[in-house]
Amino acid sequence: MKLAGLKSVDGAHEDSIWAAAWVPAADHRPTALLLTGSIDETVRAWQPDDLAAASPPAGGHALGVISLAAHPAGVIAAAVSIDSHVRVFDVDSGASVATLDAAPSEVWGVQFHPKGVALAAAGGGSGSVKLWDTEKWQPIASLPVPRPEGARADKTGSGKFVLSVAWSPDGKLLACGSMDGTIAVYDAVRMKFLHHLEGHHMPVRSMVFSPVDPHVLLTGCDDSHIHIYDAKEKGLIGAMSGHASWVLSIDVSPDGMTVATGSSDRTVRLWDINARASVQTMSNHSDQVWAVVASRPPGGEGVRAGRLASASDDKSISLYDYS
Amino acid sequence: MSAPAARQGAEEEAERLLAAAKLNPNDGGPFRSLGHHYARAGDAQRAARCYQRAVALDPDDAEAGEALCDLLDAEGKESLELAVCKEAAGKSPRAFWAFRRLGYLQVHQKKWSDAIQSLQHSIRGYPTCADLWEALGLAYHRLGMFTAAVKSYGRAIELDSSRVFALIESGNIQLMLGYFRKGVEQFRSAVEMAPHNHSAYFGLASALLAWSKHCVTTGAFTWAANLLKEASETAKVCTSLAGNLSCVWKLHADTQLALARCFPWEDRHIKRGMDEQNFKASILQWRNTCLSAANSAKLSYQRALHLTPWEANIHIDTAICLDLICTMEENNSVDPIAWELPEKMSLGGLMLEPVNKDFWVTLGSVSSNQALKQHSLIRALQLDTSLSEAWAYLGKIYRQSGHKQLARQAFDRARSIDPSLALPWAGMSAENDHQSRAGSVNESYESCLRAVQILPLPEFQIGLGTIAARSGELLSPQVLMAVRQAVQRAPHYPESHNINGLVSEVRSDFQSAITSYQHAKFALGMMRRSKLDNRYPFVDVSVNLARSLCKAGLATDAVRECEELKTQGLLNVDGLQVYALALWKLGRHDEALSISRNLAENLSNMKQESATGALGFICTLAYNIAGKDSAASVIHTLPGQPSYNRELKFIISALDALQPSKRFQLPHLSTPPRLTSYDVMSEVHSNIALGKAIGGELNNCLGVGGGLSYLKKVLHMYPDCSLVRNHLGSLLLSSGDWTASHKAVRVTSLSHGHTSNRGLRSPHQIQACATMSCYATCTSYPKFSFPTCEDQYLSQYNGICNLQRLVHQEPWNQDARYLLVLAIFQKAREEKYPKHICATLKRLVLQIMSSSSNSQEHKLILYEKYLLLLLSSEVNLQSDDYENGIAQVTDALRVAPPSVDTFFAHLQLCRAYVVQGDLSNSRKEYMKCLQNRTNTEVGWVMLKQLESLCSVNRGSDEIEINLKGCIERNGRNPSKWASLFNLACAQCFMRDEDFASAEKALAQACAEKDADSCILFLNGAMHMEIARRYAAPQYITRAASSLRKAQQKSQAMVPIISLLLAQAEGSLGSKAKWEKNLRLEWFSWPPELRPAELYFQMHLLASQSTAAAAAGPQQKKQQQLVETMQSPGAWLLRAIHQNPSCSRYWTALLQLVCV
Repeated sequence: MKLAGLKSVDGAHEDSIWAAAWVPAADHRPTALLLTGSIDETVRAWQPDDLAAASPPAGGHALGVISLAAHPAGVIAAAVSIDSHVRVFDVDSGASVATLDAAPSEVWGVQFHPKGVALAAAGGGSGSVKLWDTEKWQPIASLPVPRPEGARADKTGSGKFVLSVAWSPDGKLLACGSMDGTIAVYDAVRMKFLHHLEGHHMPVRSMVFSPVDPHVLLTGCDDSHIHIYDAKEKGLIGAMSGHASWVLSIDVSPDGMTVATGSSDRTVRLWDINARASVQTMSNHSDQVWAVVASRPPGGEGVRAGRLASASDDKSISLYDYS
Repeated sequence: MSAPAARQGAEEEAERLLAAAKLNPNDGGPFRSLGHHYARAGDAQRAARCYQRAVALDPDDAEAGEALCDLLDAEGKESLELAVCKEAAGKSPRAFWAFRRLGYLQVHQKKWSDAIQSLQHSIRGYPTCADLWEALGLAYHRLGMFTAAVKSYGRAIELDSSRVFALIESGNIQLMLGYFRKGVEQFRSAVEMAPHNHSAYFGLASALLAWSKHCVTTGAFTWAANLLKEASETAKVCTSLAGNLSCVWKLHADTQLALARCFPWEDRHIKRGMDEQNFKASILQWRNTCLSAANSAKLSYQRALHLTPWEANIHIDTAICLDLICTMEENNSVDPIAWELPEKMSLGGLMLEPVNKDFWVTLGSVSSNQALKQHSLIRALQLDTSLSEAWAYLGKIYRQSGHKQLARQAFDRARSIDPSLALPWAGMSAENDHQSRAGSVNESYESCLRAVQILPLPEFQIGLGTIAARSGELLSPQVLMAVRQAVQRAPHYPESHNINGLVSEVRSDFQSAITSYQHAKFALGMMRRSKLDNRYPFVDVSVNLARSLCKAGLATDAVRECEELKTQGLLNVDGLQVYALALWKLGRHDEALSISRNLAENLSNMKQESATGALGFICTLAYNIAGKDSAASVIHTLPGQPSYNRELKFIISALDALQPSKRFQLPHLSTPPRLTSYDVMSEVHSNIALGKAIGGELNNCLGVGGGLSYLKKVLHMYPDCSLVRNHLGSLLLSSGDWTASHKAVRVTSLSHGHTSNRGLRSPHQIQACATMSCYATCTSYPKFSFPTCEDQYLSQYNGICNLQRLVHQEPWNQDARYLLVLAIFQKAREEKYPKHICATLKRLVLQIMSSSSNSQEHKLILYEKYLLLLLSSEVNLQSDDYENGIAQVTDALRVAPPSVDTFFAHLQLCRAYVVQGDLSNSRKEYMKCLQNRTNTEVGWVMLKQLESLCSVNRGSDEIEINLKGCIERNGRNPSKWASLFNLACAQCFMRDEDFASAEKALAQACAEKDADSCILFLNGAMHMEIARRYAAPQYITRAASSLRKAQQKSQAMVPIISLLLAQAEGSLGSKAKWEKNLRLEWFSWPPELRPAELYFQMHLLASQSTAAAAAGPQQKKQQQLVETMQSPGAWLLRAIHQNPSCSRYWTALLQLVCV
């Protein structure tokens, strides 16, 4: 698999871009859209082929957008801002659908359930994962991250800060990653904690399940490594190294064979999971790459071709074709 | 009666008894008497037969039975006795004598479980027999049922308090169970009871010994020493009672040996400024005490050995004792061939018992010959491969001889065999300590801590202290305890004093630290005689001493210390730093600078870390002495640019922030974050952010924007850093952005973890400030007022509760109280100054004022006081207490520090006079306000409001000019302020009933973009009023449009807007809109507050819709509308019920009734 640069937009936002998400095509809209969120407090939508602006920027995200997630139906998306509001909005019009409120610093990354029935948010300083239903936007549950066994009880310090969250493709597992490197896995059906995944000791800022195998969880961590876990059976099954600094963002291709990561070393890397090795490094960004997202074209499993987008602190978005 | 006569009488009696027995052979009595007769006569056989008969006839006959058993016992026929008792016991359960006898016999034969049964049975017959209880206790004891045994012994002691055996035995059991105190008590009472019983003394001494050992493991050495002293005295008494028992001597020796090992050095009676002589004397005294105890132990062992030379373990004990004496006397023999005494003794033990593995280990540990050590340990391991001590000692030997790998393996093995052994832990700790892996320091600290907890040896404790000093764990209480104990146990080691000093220093107890370092120096002085090569530790200790002198504020002494070192030529890099610092503290700046230059020259020869540390120091010093420029020049002449560590980055970023004109080019700060620690980097980043905020020139106002965007980025990278959050919050607050207060609250977090008080403001401060700074009413409870805040962020946030919590947590914190007062004041303002809150406020203010009454105060505190006085004056004004209100303002003016903006005090005075109606004074204050000026927009707006009330000349537009200047200077929200100013103008005009001008002003206020809903509302109302007064219908359209905007803008429904809008729409002829707005109005009131007029309007609405319903049946769907809930008449009645004084309602009722 190879990446080929399609287009790059410099100055896509007025300031650093921190989040990106693909909105799948919907009934009323034949193509997918790329959403980006920035510190300039706006979310913008872009056409998937030429990165033309698809709609006027949507504001109202005080102090900057941390994380974006699109509903699988392609109509709505959720954006988290630093003031700890989750704004759910209509992708095409930019109008707010709901504003989910959390205590200060108690929400960070968000992700929609693969069927779209719930929204999971990494609960930041609350040390938990928060779930909202997507019909009435009421909180369903808050799943706390238990202290890992063997952790020293007398080391007091700031508690867990949950940064990232991911749903397995079948919606049965939910994983979250924290500031101290612990990864907790939950049974999302019974809302119960299952186990911790060990191996990281620094913030896990991004994680994603393989779209073809609900076992496989991929995590990117500040220790500059990428880990591959068996999330169901609790095991580290692989690790890949190569970035020179923090891994900020990770996504996986629709066939589950290739991983893309963005890092503080200003590169985007492409990795082959089978070979456990980096196969390509893109260094077209001039600052740290906060978001790497791969589009999921309709057609289900096994589709290899698609688009990859990366967004960076240098205010630019890059679009790649992979095949 | 003479003897033959007596015999005669006896024979007669015997015959009579025989006759009686023949007459009634089934009665046992005669047989028993006959038995007695024969027994007296000395015919044992006959007597026995008679007794046997008697017992056979009546097994309950205790007298006969006992007599029979005594007879048998005297003849030594034990089995026969047993059989008789068993038979009797088998025949009758009431034959308690038999059971008792049986029990005793079984105890004698050591058939413990049988004995317990018999004894228990017999106790039923003789419940107060102490012997039985004692025997039962013994049986239980031997069976290992200790609690039952203790109970039985206790019963025996209760029945007969002189039971020494029971006392001693139960004491033994208590010792075995670990209840030392109880055991000792029991032995003590045994000793009291039997002052010549050597076993009681022996027991007491051993109990005290065991207790003291327990104390030693917990670290209570003085206590242990006291117990041991008593123990050895007791043992001494015991030896005088039984001087030929080897075990007694051994016990005495054991106590003395334990005393020699644990006797602590007491420094508590030593004064702080102790000189070297005293110190030496006290150390010598301590050592002599220990040594004499050890020698007395040796003597006692010798006696024991003399008594029982075949006991191998006494040989070994002697060897151990000799070894201790050797190490204490520190006389290392030079002849490697000759056997040393300890070796010889342990070899003696081994000759007696060559297969005892522990003896081999002892030989290995006391020997000074490496090969012999190794050999003996290996022998021990051959005897038992899982002997953890042997492995541990082997590891120690390997470590000493440099075989790291082997040592590690040995320690590992020892640790896995017996994890409760201290030595392998210590060994592993030392192993880890010498590695350079990142986590190894932590690991070695853990291991060493474990070792210390298992066995508090001074060597381990000093090691723990050393590791802790390196890994920054000196503040931990375990380390403190260990190091303090180390000083007690090893006062002759300079290391222990040095580390003790470090521990004190870390705790900011500099005086004790100084004392400790001095002790360390004395101890070094004592050692110097024996070993010459201790210059380096001497320098280290001296530098430490100088440093804590410096920290304690005794810079002169510190300088003297450094100069002493300097004359010896021993001043190292650390010393230079301390020297420079001390000189600087003394004000000898030039010398300090020259020293630091000296230091800078040495930088290149230093190791990386210490070099950057020294560099940071030079920078700070240069900054403090010569200002930022020279510090910057130091940075610029750096040797190796890329090797900044974190602390240095911090300094550079701080300097950078202070030097807006000449920014460093700091490429390394913008490079991608390396894998370093998070907290320092976040501090660096907040410094950079401050630098950005300071902007181009130092004298300008803070340019918040740049700092804000930078901080946002930093927060994105370090989301859980409370420092960054605090900084962001405080910058937001000072940004002057209209909604900043809401954002600031959302950013800073109180809810989890411990909140950091670093940063510009604490999170509590930020929250309180945000609560105060929202100009709109944010109340969530519409009873007092209606929320007008457009953002509504604060609706669920309860700032007062948080502050109350803070005050409760930190009652000494004046700042917290101050913030609480502010927050409560805001609440009072929102709720229109209810009486109880005003009272609370007054009390709180009084509290704060009285607790800080001295005049010499910090400017900030004075300013706080000034504000508080203004605030309480406002509270007084609001509760109609004008005199006090004015008095407080004058007070405020008096306390105000000179640089403070007194505008608001005058403004407040002006307001007070206006309310009082004192025109001349109020005008005076008004003029003062104009003279004083302020840089706060809201002040001018408020002054404008007062203008008409003071009836001053309206012509001048001074206020407007001032306001404009102010807005320009601050550069924030010009449109908001302009619209507010226009609002104030309009209010003035309205007060003068100049509606035309007022309308114009309001129109201007509304014209600004993003006008406030309240202003729009007022504008609408104004238009309505004008339309009403001057019958000018064209105004109604304008009114309607303003009101509509106001309705759309206000998020929560503000009452009356809809009502006015309904009127306007109605007047414009749109009935549907009139209805709709009236309904809206109904819902915008909280149910319990709806006024009478509202009910009246609903009556109108209802009568309209019933008319409509009567007109056309197609309007059925209106059934669910609100006015149809009741009939028009009912609405009207409710209106009248609420306000019976309004004649309009009555006329309407009249009409309704008439129609």
